[in-house]
Amino acid sequence: MYKESLFRGLNKGIRTTWELTKIVVPVYFFVTFLKYTPALSWVSNFFAPVMKIVGLPGEASLALVLGNMINLYAGIGAIASLNLTIKQITILAIMLSFSHSLFLETAVAKKTGVNVTLILLIRISLAIIFGILFNIIL
Amino acid sequence: MDFVGFLKESTFGSLNSIFDMAKIVIPLMIVMEMLKDLNILDKISDFFKPVAKFFGISSESTFPLVIGLIFGLAYGAGVIIESAKENNLSKKDLYILIIFLVACHSVFEDTLLFVAMGANGFLLLPLRIGIAIVISFMASKILDKININKNKLPEHIL
Repeated sequence: MYKESLFRGLNKGIRTTWELTKIVVPVYFFVTFLKYTPALSWVSNFFAPVMKIVGLPGEASLALVLGNMINLYAGIGAIASLNLTIKQITILAIMLSFSHSLFLETAVAKKTGVNVTLILLIRISLAIIFGILFNIIL
Repeated sequence: MDFVGFLKESTFGSLNSIFDMAKIVIPLMIVMEMLKDLNILDKISDFFKPVAKFFGISSESTFPLVIGLIFGLAYGAGVIIESAKENNLSKKDLYILIIFLVACHSVFEDTLLFVAMGANGFLLLPLRIGIAIVISFMASKILDKININKNKLPEHIL
């Protein structure tokens, strides 16, 4: 039985790593490409005023957008490719933990018959509140 | 544009990140499969029974709660729907379970992936679980006040 769960876990781990690879690699290439063109500083300058509230540079908005629109792996791919400090990564991790893959996960939650607006409201407010809070604390 | 520099940075950078994450994800999945097979999940659910009381939900709700907490929302929601059918979970049970789990699910995988990126896991994990407990408790008070259980469950769950 041990062997069986070991094998199944290994299999699942490799499958998850593959799922990660399929998303993290393209996102990493995309963000790095932006870094090598003026586009990243445009994005950065555009979002800088809003992102300042949670103590993040403008380009970190990419991680938040990708993480919420696609999934956590995409957000992580963006984090990996940007040059961020530990504090900034921790704030992003807190915000993304509360609110990510909004399309997919809201659809899943909806299946249980719970009000979708309520769920979205809770998740997004938690992300923003704790982003602001930990920018002050850390 | 420095195209070679771009290719180099993207290739090595992304592979490096994948490698960092694989080192965490593969052992974690093995441990989680073992947890499942050793029936430890039932024991963990029993341990959570007082938590159910705290939220004012039925003790049958703890199993889907633990599953979602460890294995993720999609898996958790599946188990919630199943338990709702088998154990007649109330509308309040469902709301508390989902409110808790949208704020806090697949905690080990998510936390460790962020740790691989450099985040502080000792802050991240307790914060996420703590806040999920606080909002679920608040929700439980509000749901009692509006007497949610008078509402019927959605048809596909009955």
